Amino acid sequence: MVSLVIPSDISFVVLTAVTIIGAIMALQAKELIYGAIALAISFIGIAGFFALLDAPYLAMLQIAIYVGAVVVLILFTIMLVRRERGEEMDKRTDAAEGSMGLWLAGLLALAISGVVALAGTSLPTQAPAASLPVSDLGPALTLQYPVPLIILALLLSAALLGALVLAKVER
Amino acid sequence: MVVFPPTTPAELIALILRVITSHTFITIIIFPGFIHLTLVVIFLTWYERKLLARIQLRIGPLYAGGPGGILQPLADGVKLIFKEVMIPYKASKPLFLGIPLMMVFLSALPFAVIPFGQHWVIANIDVGLVFVFAMTSLFPSMILIFAWASNSKYPFLGGLRSLFQQVAYEIPMWISTLSVVLLAGSLNLVDIVKAQEKMWFIVPAFLSFIVFFIAIMAELERLPFDLPEAEPELVAGWYTEASGAIFMLIFMGLYMKLYLMSSLVTVLFLGGWWGPAFLPQPVWFIIKTLIVATFIIIPRGVYPRIRVDMLIKTGWTRLLIIALANIFLTILLINSGLLAAWGI
Repeated sequence: MVSLVIPSDISFVVLTAVTIIGAIMALQAKELIYGAIALAISFIGIAGFFALLDAPYLAMLQIAIYVGAVVVLILFTIMLVRRERGEEMDKRTDAAEGSMGLWLAGLLALAISGVVALAGTSLPTQAPAASLPVSDLGPALTLQYPVPLIILALLLSAALLGALVLAKVER
Repeated sequence: MVVFPPTTPAELIALILRVITSHTFITIIIFPGFIHLTLVVIFLTWYERKLLARIQLRIGPLYAGGPGGILQPLADGVKLIFKEVMIPYKASKPLFLGIPLMMVFLSALPFAVIPFGQHWVIANIDVGLVFVFAMTSLFPSMILIFAWASNSKYPFLGGLRSLFQQVAYEIPMWISTLSVVLLAGSLNLVDIVKAQEKMWFIVPAFLSFIVFFIAIMAELERLPFDLPEAEPELVAGWYTEASGAIFMLIFMGLYMKLYLMSSLVTVLFLGGWWGPAFLPQPVWFIIKTLIVATFIIIPRGVYPRIRVDMLIKTGWTRLLIIALANIFLTILLINSGLLAAWGI
């Protein structure tokens, strides 16, 4: 039999490359628009991770909200704030800043691997066998986690009201 | 007998035959995949021109072969392919050439989850509706990037208008589909159609049908919502600088999106593939979809364009409120047991 399914190891490596290269390009792009596009590519890589982890609903929402809405917001802001071409944006980061970033990333990786090593045996070694159906998401949110849901709703309302207050023009 | 890897010519032929007669291959390449989509897009361009011509008492395409000049799109296609692609001065070349390709790709991708019949679906996934939502939500950014990449003022203004419009109408559009999801109890498009065997959802969810239809008119930039390509003000809106093959790609993307949204209306509200048994399921689906597309096209020959402030106001205040209120109405309707006779 010919198997057309890509082994998840290869997909993991590809997705990691897409996400990290997208993130680096987002920071290093000379033109802010290219940076926003690279950010979108990085977000798509993260959506791929969710799909790989058997969470298709989360993957789709990651694309719809982060790639669809957040990137549009960023593009919109960039276009309204500055219209000149970005020649003077060259050399945004010099070598010292770059090496500092590398050191910080290494430190973070060390910390995470340390935590994983300390947790050791208590971590699950295998993923749950079957992925949960999407229809279980609603009952889980409303019955098992009602308090976080209400807090989230309050937070979003507060953000909305804050936006209204900021956008309101006194006449 | 199919052997892999093939060693003799006969085995190779058997393998090839096996592949091209497999369900996966047929659904992806022939129906409802590439060939079907291309043919429908070609048909729709001719259909729109002919229909608008008849509404305005003109004749429309006539000479390019077949009845009623039905080969006109092919002639147009050949003309556009052989025209030079003009790239504006200081435009961003990779984006200017790449975004139209991405548009065709993104508007063709959601057809993977649209069920044209009980077995005529490429990918029967649980989150089909959210998948379509995710893919179509990428369009505003594509349009904005293309408008920016053209490095010209009219496309930029058109792109900003398109962004305003699509963001304002995407939210009521997807909130209005929630009542259908509640009625069917699933995000899977196949399950949504199966739930409509006894009763099309246009009856219990009429309000959300209206909201969804208006919202897709705005989403498709159809009249009376075609502000992003307002000819008298913006030349041709966000695709002013597109020429030749780039123009053709953009129009393929737009017409594929028109077909996508019409088929989504069919899936969500008009009972999908269900119909009297004398015609096969995909035929019923395509007939319904083309009727919906006709009703999307007709206003172009009838109505004038509305103003920007009216557009934004309608989207954010009227449609959003109706869509939200409709969710509670649907919950009441389901819990009242009035729909129990139809198995909802």
